[in-house]
Amino acid sequence: MQQLNPSEISEVIKKRIENLDVTSQAQNEGTVVSVSDGIVRIHGLADAMYGEMIEFEGGVYGLAMNLERDSVGAVVLGEYKSLAEGQTAKCTGRILEVPTGEALLGRVVDTLGNPIDGKGPIETNTSAPVERVAPGVIARQGVDQPLETGYKAVDSMVPIGRGQRELIIGDRQTGKSAMAIDAIINQKGTGVKCIYVAVGQKQSTIANVVRKLEEHGAMDHTIIVAAGAADPAAMQFLAPYAGCAMGEYFLDRGEDALIVYDDLTKQAWAYRQISLLLKRPPGREAYPGDVFYLHSRLLERACRVNADYVKSVSGVEGKTGSLTALPIIETQGGDVSAFVPTNVISITDGQIFLETSLFNSGIRPAMNAGISVSRVGGAAQTKIIKKLGGGIRLALAQYRELAAFAQFASDLDDATRKQLEHGRAVTELMKQGQYAPMKTAEMGLSIFAATEGFLEDVEVNKIQAFEAALLSYANSEYKELMDQINVKGDYNNDIAAGLKELIEKFKSTQTW
Amino acid sequence: MAELTTLARPYAKAAFAEAQEKNALDAWSADLSVLAAYAADADLAKILVHPSLTAEQQAQALLDVCGDKLNEAAKNLVAVLADNKRLSLLPEVSALFEELKAQLQNTVDVVVTTAFEMTDAQQSKLAESLKAKLKCEVRMSSEIDESLIGGAIIRAGDLVIDGSLTGKLSKLAEAMNS
Repeated sequence: MQQLNPSEISEVIKKRIENLDVTSQAQNEGTVVSVSDGIVRIHGLADAMYGEMIEFEGGVYGLAMNLERDSVGAVVLGEYKSLAEGQTAKCTGRILEVPTGEALLGRVVDTLGNPIDGKGPIETNTSAPVERVAPGVIARQGVDQPLETGYKAVDSMVPIGRGQRELIIGDRQTGKSAMAIDAIINQKGTGVKCIYVAVGQKQSTIANVVRKLEEHGAMDHTIIVAAGAADPAAMQFLAPYAGCAMGEYFLDRGEDALIVYDDLTKQAWAYRQISLLLKRPPGREAYPGDVFYLHSRLLERACRVNADYVKSVSGVEGKTGSLTALPIIETQGGDVSAFVPTNVISITDGQIFLETSLFNSGIRPAMNAGISVSRVGGAAQTKIIKKLGGGIRLALAQYRELAAFAQFASDLDDATRKQLEHGRAVTELMKQGQYAPMKTAEMGLSIFAATEGFLEDVEVNKIQAFEAALLSYANSEYKELMDQINVKGDYNNDIAAGLKELIEKFKSTQTW
Repeated sequence: MAELTTLARPYAKAAFAEAQEKNALDAWSADLSVLAAYAADADLAKILVHPSLTAEQQAQALLDVCGDKLNEAAKNLVAVLADNKRLSLLPEVSALFEELKAQLQNTVDVVVTTAFEMTDAQQSKLAESLKAKLKCEVRMSSEIDESLIGGAIIRAGDLVIDGSLTGKLSKLAEAMNS
């Protein structure tokens, strides 16, 4: 017997029949001239608009991308095997839209917003066009709230603010995705909604990400937009825009959202493929002329907007909205001067460099503190991390300089040796495991211990054990102080004295 | 198809400008349609693209078939097309010429496909309302297609108004399946 599915309830069917519009409307029609590699050329369609949806026979849709004198070039969204020369193609007068809303949280969807996680249909009645012009200068506000990633190294040295675009760049296997996923996990309970856009990745990798997020309870505030390696290039090219539209829903309603584009290199590849097939002239590295605009218009949509804008768009009063973007770029052999990496570096408000050599020598996250920067995040840092974190950057910078120099000299003076040891200790302290984001207070305590010299009598290879013991001691014995720091993030003499007392007491009573 | 139109456009435009200057639109239109009809003929089309024939021979072959129906200017157009090895474009040139002519005279060719034969009264009523909608003179021709079940499909160039029963049924099917 055939199975009845939920859309076949007579009430539902009745509603659909009621809403059906059968009035005949004038439509622009054309004829398919050629179909190749997901690109369709259509003769006619004189009134087609750029970016308009084109309907083919059999309910397949395409996107008009090349408007030429006698033909229209369109990319097919989805399966194109049913298309053939001579079929008709119609203009729809609509541009591509994706569903948006709270209902998408916890779900895995494709580029068009169709659920692909087998959890049934998504009940939402809001939608938004995938392409939108970013809010202008009048609508914006400075970045002044922190977006904590939970990584000591990132939050102290390259802080990220809500509404910032911070690039994560590095070779393959350097922990780029891991960093972004930890940032998503750390947003649990903060009210920040997360969107993870997976472009051109293996389905198994995407499934792994979903499982890890579920394990850490981070799926409830996360939407995953997946355009895997097996999906058509058009889907991979559009996925970041679709994810961005879903994020803008929260931005417009005065909420904070975080979007991860993993990764934009593959999106640029997909766009290059489409452009070459559309016979647009290739430029540097065979990318089309507008590959900069491809990324700039996407990343420009990540911003912090003021309360007036939020009120005018959604009617929510007295709230500012933000969309923070963490684009990821994969470099080849550490070459950051390639076309796409330089483009995205210049667009974003800073970058986190991850290096293979650091990763292999056990420094994870493998962030190169010397060339990683955040151009706006400093204004958004919590007070305590800002006060204490300054010393970390300095210590590491001096250490790097001395370490190279000290390799040649066997006997060093006391001050130099001390500095080297301190640098080594800080490097060790900055190491942090995956899926273990830290709270502000924990971070503050660790960094306080380093900058105030409490690590001097701890052996370098015992530092991680020391830190773990210190944190668990603090969380059980000094809960009040820790909570106070977590909530306010302040730093003053009282707190400094409290932390000092905590560490001294720990050192005198505990072992590690 | 799209590429051919692009190639044919300059010839059609030139012929149209010449016809307008000499005030001989109808004569040109007739000549071009004769040429197009012959050029579309399978046997003649082979000769027109045959590599062993010179341009003069190809042009002469086409002109010989047409006999003395053509005026001098049209013969010259054939010579030019032959020189550029574009004789096979004649059907497109003719079609584009007609398009330009219709544009100038503010008329449009409309094909109405219906399930049943239309009465004269229906035809004139439809022509009236199409004239009002498209804001130009309508030259109507009709076709019968029983698979429409009922209603009509009106085509005016790229513009299509689907008022057929089959169209409505497929819309319904789409709404139910989505």
